[in-house]
Amino acid sequence: MSQLSNAEQFKQSFREEARDVLVDLEAALLELNENRANGELVGRVFRGLHTIKGSGSMFGFEDLAAFTHNLETAFDEVRNGRLQIGSELIDLTLSALDQIRAMLEEREGPEDAAARAEILVNVRKLTGVAESVPKTSAGSSVQTTPIGVAVRQWAIRFAPGPDLLLTGADPLLLFAELRQLGGLAVKASLEMVPPLAEVDPERCYVSWEMVLAAPVDSNAIHDVFIFVEDGCDLVIEPAANSEDDARTARDAAAAGLKEPRAGVSGRRTYDKPDNASSLRVPAAKLDQFVDLVGELVTVQARLAELATRNDDPEVGSVSEELERLTSALRENSMNIRMTPIRGTFEKFRRLVHDLARDLGKDVELTMEGADTELDKTVIEQLGDPLMHLIRNSMDHGIEPRELRLARGKRATAKLHLSARHSGATVLVAVSDDGGGINAEAVRRRAIDKGLVAAGAQLTEAETFALLFQPGFSTAAQVTDVSGRGVGMDVVRQRVESLRGTIDVASRPELGTSVTLRLPLTLAIIDGLLLAVDDACFVLPLACTLECIELSSADIKRANEKHMADVRGEIVPYVRLREHFDIRQKKPELEQIMVVETAEGRFGIVVDRVLGNCQTVIKSLGRAYRHVQAVSGATILGNGTVALILDPERLVQDALSVRLPGHNARASPRAARSGQAKAALRRAAESS
Amino acid sequence: MSIALNKSELGNVVVLEGTIDISSAAELKTILLNALGSGKELCISLDAATYLDVTAVQLLWAAGKQAQISGIALRFSGQLSDLISTTLANASLPLFQASVIAG
Repeated sequence: MSQLSNAEQFKQSFREEARDVLVDLEAALLELNENRANGELVGRVFRGLHTIKGSGSMFGFEDLAAFTHNLETAFDEVRNGRLQIGSELIDLTLSALDQIRAMLEEREGPEDAAARAEILVNVRKLTGVAESVPKTSAGSSVQTTPIGVAVRQWAIRFAPGPDLLLTGADPLLLFAELRQLGGLAVKASLEMVPPLAEVDPERCYVSWEMVLAAPVDSNAIHDVFIFVEDGCDLVIEPAANSEDDARTARDAAAAGLKEPRAGVSGRRTYDKPDNASSLRVPAAKLDQFVDLVGELVTVQARLAELATRNDDPEVGSVSEELERLTSALRENSMNIRMTPIRGTFEKFRRLVHDLARDLGKDVELTMEGADTELDKTVIEQLGDPLMHLIRNSMDHGIEPRELRLARGKRATAKLHLSARHSGATVLVAVSDDGGGINAEAVRRRAIDKGLVAAGAQLTEAETFALLFQPGFSTAAQVTDVSGRGVGMDVVRQRVESLRGTIDVASRPELGTSVTLRLPLTLAIIDGLLLAVDDACFVLPLACTLECIELSSADIKRANEKHMADVRGEIVPYVRLREHFDIRQKKPELEQIMVVETAEGRFGIVVDRVLGNCQTVIKSLGRAYRHVQAVSGATILGNGTVALILDPERLVQDALSVRLPGHNARASPRAARSGQAKAALRRAAESS
Repeated sequence: MSIALNKSELGNVVVLEGTIDISSAAELKTILLNALGSGKELCISLDAATYLDVTAVQLLWAAGKQAQISGIALRFSGQLSDLISTTLANASLPLFQASVIAG
């Protein structure tokens, strides 16, 4: 690897760390806005800014460090009780975070420098502190001690780990930062530097002992070392008699370090934060890993099949052991990729805060299920669709304050983000208690634009689906649809690219809820293997409740209606044989798999239940994207293809066909679904 | 960054230019070993160096020690940049042992 790319790698590493810090900073600021007396939040903001500044200068982002230093100063003033938190400081800092983000990504526009200057002028107006620059030289390192804060002496021993320099960190830059805290006396030890021929040029052999006299606690000192302490020997402890020592910082520096301090054996090692042992791994490597595990699962299934077919107990034993290990590996590999959606949700606090201010609306953002975990790839691609949905909701869904009051609603609107697992899918919803969508206006507009025939009978779901049609949104902005649909085409495209679907529910004057139903991009799931004639299907185990028999007598008792009596409860069912148009004769005794769906309990009737299986979901490709009842396919141990059922969509598909007066031909989606389904059935039968 | 070794009958001169850090440490080590291997007087010119990180300082320190053991005269020449002198002063890091001559 070239030296240049090494440097770029270090920068990239800093960028990744800083992005996380910025997210936390933004969340802390927004919380602080709600709870301005919270000293803990002030400390969190200060530490975040301090970290960005310190590590920024270490990794060559000097401008970023200098800019952040001014904000850090402002929050230091807050910390010391000399400045009150107000909306202006919060908004300025939020704007500053945007600038820091741009500087971090090195994608600054021509107007950004002016914007930064303006932010700094306004920050200085608030703080009353003149221009503040990070101190880098020894001569400027004496810090004035705040009145009433006792100077303490700290003994610090710092021996960088052997690999520290490989991370791009430069320990020499830390000393300037330490000197900003107070008076510092340093003694470097080069005794460990070996003869020249034996020097590993990338290893650090130098260690330091210091005495710092400063009005700070040990946390402030740890903050200086925050990016270098992994693998380092770092000891920070009060120097003897420091509590009573009233010497000034300058005196301490003059005292120097003549002898190594006594009592070193009693040193305390700093407990690293929990994330010290975490590792950043490129997502592509994880993708490859999960793919390989997927292949392993398929091979394991083949081995199990072979052992059963040959009735070989030895191979069977190995196969069982392999199955156990594969299962554990599968769980682990999937867990590695799973990330809580919280980070994505939290980012929208800022968007809601800014939009509410700009639109003059009071909006309360609530979240539910933020700990729901999704595949990292899905989460990364969810940001844009959710942003568009939230913007639409706030701009067009939530009414102006006066109108809400006139409608008898609370002046403060509710915007709710939620996420939850539903079988093999994840449901992510954006809901508001706004004015709702005028379905009739959407329909009229669609007819005007020639998207549907004038006499077309559309269900509510089909009507709302029109909002996501390309070109619908822009024109709708000037109609009484009130712009719902702006950016919706983007939402549709992104969700479809994730093999997800969108459901819209809306009630006039009560609100709207848009639910994104997202599958895992490459999931290995536990399933039940079902058979209808020669065709195999996989039903995700997570949504399966029970299995009961369905005899011809049961069918007669129900007057041939697709209803089963499950211990006194009437459960409607769909017969896969009919749904996929499999024409061979059905057996006398069928099996009903009872599943839990959003529509309630539902039965799926098959010929036989073959047993449990682990399946690797493979995408069916674009040709089958309109088949709603199938979420993918998998290859079984004997090499045949099994379709993976999506029970939710299967049930909705079945219900939509049976709706009285429903005209399937009016829906191009339904027609496409029918064609694709027939092709799929042929594919499954011929495999 | 650049590190050059100028050899002459009278002695060797290692010229450091720009930032000398971990990315150039291996090269600096090779050049210093090469220069000291000749047994001639060695001058390290720091005039054009703008920054030295800890890897560079360690190597210069080790070179000073080796020169002393081998009885080779080693001296530093040129004015240290503000950044180098400030950084080394902050970290209390000497560039060379007292017995090495700065000129």
